[in-house]
Amino acid sequence: MFERALNVFWIVLGAASAAYAWSLGVVGPAGPESGLFPFIASTIVSGAGIILLLRPSTQVRAPNFPRSSGLWRVLGVILGLIVMAAGMPYLGFSVASFITMIILLRTVDRSSWLSAVTLAFLSTASVFWLFGHLLGMALPRGPWGW
Amino acid sequence: MEALNGLLTGFGVILTPANLYLCFLGSLIGTLVGVLPGVGPLAALALLLPVTFTLSPIGGMVMLASIFYGAMYGGSTTSILLNIPGEAASVVTCIDGHQMARQGRAGPALGIAAIGSFIAGTLGVVIMTFFAPAIAAAAIRFGPPENFALMVLGLVCTLFMISGSTIKGVLMMALGFLTAAVGLDVVNGRERYTFGSVDLSGGIELLAVVIGLFGVAEILSNVETMAKTTLLADRIRGLWPSLADWRASWRAILRGSGLGFMLGMVPGGGPVTAAFMSYALEKRIATQPDRFGKGAIEGVAGPESANNSAVAGSLIPVLSLGIPSNPVTALLLGALIIQGIQPGPLFIAQRPDLFWGIVASMYVGNVFLLLLNLPLVGLWVQFLRIPYRVMFPVVLLLCVVGTYSANKNVFDLWVMLGFGVAGYVLRKLEYDLAPFVIAFVLAPLLEQSLRQSLVMSPDGAMILIKRPVTALLLAASVALTFLMFRRRTKTEGGLP
Amino acid sequence: MKWAGIACALVVALLSAPAGAQSDPKADLAKLKPKDFPTQPIEFTVVYPAGGGMDVSARLLAKYVENLSGDRIIVNNRTGGAGMVGHSYLATQAKPDGYTVGVIASLLWGDAMLRAQGRWSFTDLEPIAYVNSDALIWVGSTEGPYKGMSIKDVVNAAKDKPNTIRVATVPGSMWDYILDQIEANSGAKFLRVPFQGGGAGITALIGGNVDIAQGFYSEFRGHLEGGKVAPLAVAAAGRLDFLKDMPTFNEAFGSNEYLWQLVRYAVVPKGTPADRKVYLAATVQTAMKDPELIAEYRKQGVFFDPKLQNSKDLTADLNAYAEVERQFYVKTGRLK
Repeated sequence: MFERALNVFWIVLGAASAAYAWSLGVVGPAGPESGLFPFIASTIVSGAGIILLLRPSTQVRAPNFPRSSGLWRVLGVILGLIVMAAGMPYLGFSVASFITMIILLRTVDRSSWLSAVTLAFLSTASVFWLFGHLLGMALPRGPWGW
Repeated sequence: MEALNGLLTGFGVILTPANLYLCFLGSLIGTLVGVLPGVGPLAALALLLPVTFTLSPIGGMVMLASIFYGAMYGGSTTSILLNIPGEAASVVTCIDGHQMARQGRAGPALGIAAIGSFIAGTLGVVIMTFFAPAIAAAAIRFGPPENFALMVLGLVCTLFMISGSTIKGVLMMALGFLTAAVGLDVVNGRERYTFGSVDLSGGIELLAVVIGLFGVAEILSNVETMAKTTLLADRIRGLWPSLADWRASWRAILRGSGLGFMLGMVPGGGPVTAAFMSYALEKRIATQPDRFGKGAIEGVAGPESANNSAVAGSLIPVLSLGIPSNPVTALLLGALIIQGIQPGPLFIAQRPDLFWGIVASMYVGNVFLLLLNLPLVGLWVQFLRIPYRVMFPVVLLLCVVGTYSANKNVFDLWVMLGFGVAGYVLRKLEYDLAPFVIAFVLAPLLEQSLRQSLVMSPDGAMILIKRPVTALLLAASVALTFLMFRRRTKTEGGLP
Repeated sequence: MKWAGIACALVVALLSAPAGAQSDPKADLAKLKPKDFPTQPIEFTVVYPAGGGMDVSARLLAKYVENLSGDRIIVNNRTGGAGMVGHSYLATQAKPDGYTVGVIASLLWGDAMLRAQGRWSFTDLEPIAYVNSDALIWVGSTEGPYKGMSIKDVVNAAKDKPNTIRVATVPGSMWDYILDQIEANSGAKFLRVPFQGGGAGITALIGGNVDIAQGFYSEFRGHLEGGKVAPLAVAAAGRLDFLKDMPTFNEAFGSNEYLWQLVRYAVVPKGTPADRKVYLAATVQTAMKDPELIAEYRKQGVFFDPKLQNSKDLTADLNAYAEVERQFYVKTGRLK
């Protein structure tokens, strides 16, 4: 079922992309235009989607998606990364990564608060020191200067 | 012979305590940088460039160069142990290397990677020593038509690499093409698929894609099951490659060395392309290609050797002509310019001490790296015993920093996350992700070269046939495509 | 009281500039340093990849500024979109707190006028010091059918045989614009082969894949010394003193519109506190007076535009150049 949905997604994606590519112009006086290669690639995507959709369902193995606890763990990691990406520009690298580490350690693994905080602090501090100080990379700083 | 004289000069320059120390330091940093997922030689070189101001020109160049090829040694470590590439050139090593680790054979995998890297790196320098000027003169004539044909060949080789459904693999390649089109069209400066976003107008960063598809997706998969507390199934079976491993690998190492060296020289080539093509080559000519993807040691030996000799190959155009073929060598060129040295055709003649010093340092550096990496194999393997629940957050944090280091743009982190989720889902649905990455890497240069060729040719597409090297490469591509389809219909009983 | 302090600082800055060798530059800078600044490294933002011409200029500058002021400077490459990503970042996202200094080139103006689409303007970045300039140079090969020709010969050949002479160009930038001008004025027609940068074009020239390449001196100097390329003309106001035999385009064609230069200068985001801006300006300007730095820059083949070097109002003079460029865009229909 999911396979079918994905195949339909490919077909739609390919068609939309092909239309956009066409609007960029496909062939011009000087040969290929901006849209030619994307157009060809989009057509292949749609075409592949169609072929896959038409395959007999015996050839398709059902994917196993995570249930309950597995699903929560996966979502926990994704949440952690969202917090990291959204938080870094405003909170700075150190605070954002500390919070992210706590989220990861608590949701995914159920570490105790003490070990989570300790590990989060240690890893954030060492990464910040290694990259920000030793290697001189400009990691974003929060409004408090670090 | 002139080359041997030069080499003697070079050793005379390099065998001082200060320069040896810098070579060792660079090797160490390079290894470390290679091990860290995401942070690659380019980021490391950019960060350490200011340090070279205080060093002598030879000292600075020796250190920077050793970081470059050192990273190719270290890159295989996380690929094999964690299925997370240390940098883009080590993506293919994940495929078979990690399977070997799961079978308890992480030690032999790491060992073969290190030794293959050493052999390839040294062979590359030997070729550099004797043939640099001649090769450079030939490489310079590689124009857009030749580039185009080479990229086509690369894509065809990718078809061989596809494991599983061919249709899905081709779909992935087409998607890779589309993703590479996001940003500015190089040929006329127009924006494509950017939808008004400034960040997208810069294109999608390769590192974010690679770390997302192979790093984050891998972590998501593992976290989901958490069936084992550590990555290792049973006890580790031996630390060193066995005789059987050697017999299987030595030819792959030699092939990888040759292929990697040639690909390192051409623009748009370099270690990444070299590693991919070597894997495809090994899979294509293996007697039992089904072993690939399940722990075939040739799948580690070939690519790891190729990416090392590609470093030597890519140094030839920049040192003997002053022409960089990839961003890392462009940075090395910049480092030389800051020191007041302008590499060009006269570089070898005007500064033999510098040129031969760098060449000599590469011999020494490869030895250092071998001595560094082999004992470390035992150490790295112990990493597998760390409970995953502790290890993965730290690795994820390193992935984040590594991705960020490319453009210092938080947008890349979103890209990494997006591709991570996509990669996780696609893996479940049995899509092979490697073809996506290769198409993503090769597509821009392929498109640019073709359009440049058509513009500069008085008779349009005929230029592709009239230039001998181009015609040859294209003919090879066509032939390989036929062979590939024939084989796939035979062995897998039908295409989809 | 605060304004009196800033006025004093400005007076000191103006007075210490011409004093030169008599006063100690480091001590003067220390006097200008605001309290509590800097507490963290200052970022020199470069919008092009590491190792390129802009990056080299910025890193040399950072080295000398760091030595002079004792502040830690980190050069940061924010790349993408041929500079657009970095320019947008500087104009819209960089915090105006004095910790971000953009070391940029006048390509900013093209991005701001043609591509920013009203989201930002180049006035969102305030110039604090002039660094150097690079002028676009046409080079030909020392082999092949066009060897030994002067720039006028080449243009005439392009007129006689339209669409045969292959010129390397970087689309959407001054490489294209000068071609537009020459073609409009002389009736010549060149075959434009697109590349991502000047350096790639020079490579193609040597490999025999194009006939003419355009670039900056640092991009082809090694090849010039190796006898592979021959410089044809430069799009500057006067001849370059390290290439005295090469005419300017204006000389060769009796015009004054062939002026295509990259002006490199340092900026801070609009709204940076005045005392920090003055301090940063002083650090860069003092570094730019260091004869060693000037010598290093000369080795790169850049030149120093006297009008900008001795400028009393850098912003106004730069805006004047920007206005000239804007006129070109309007005249050629790129801007309404």
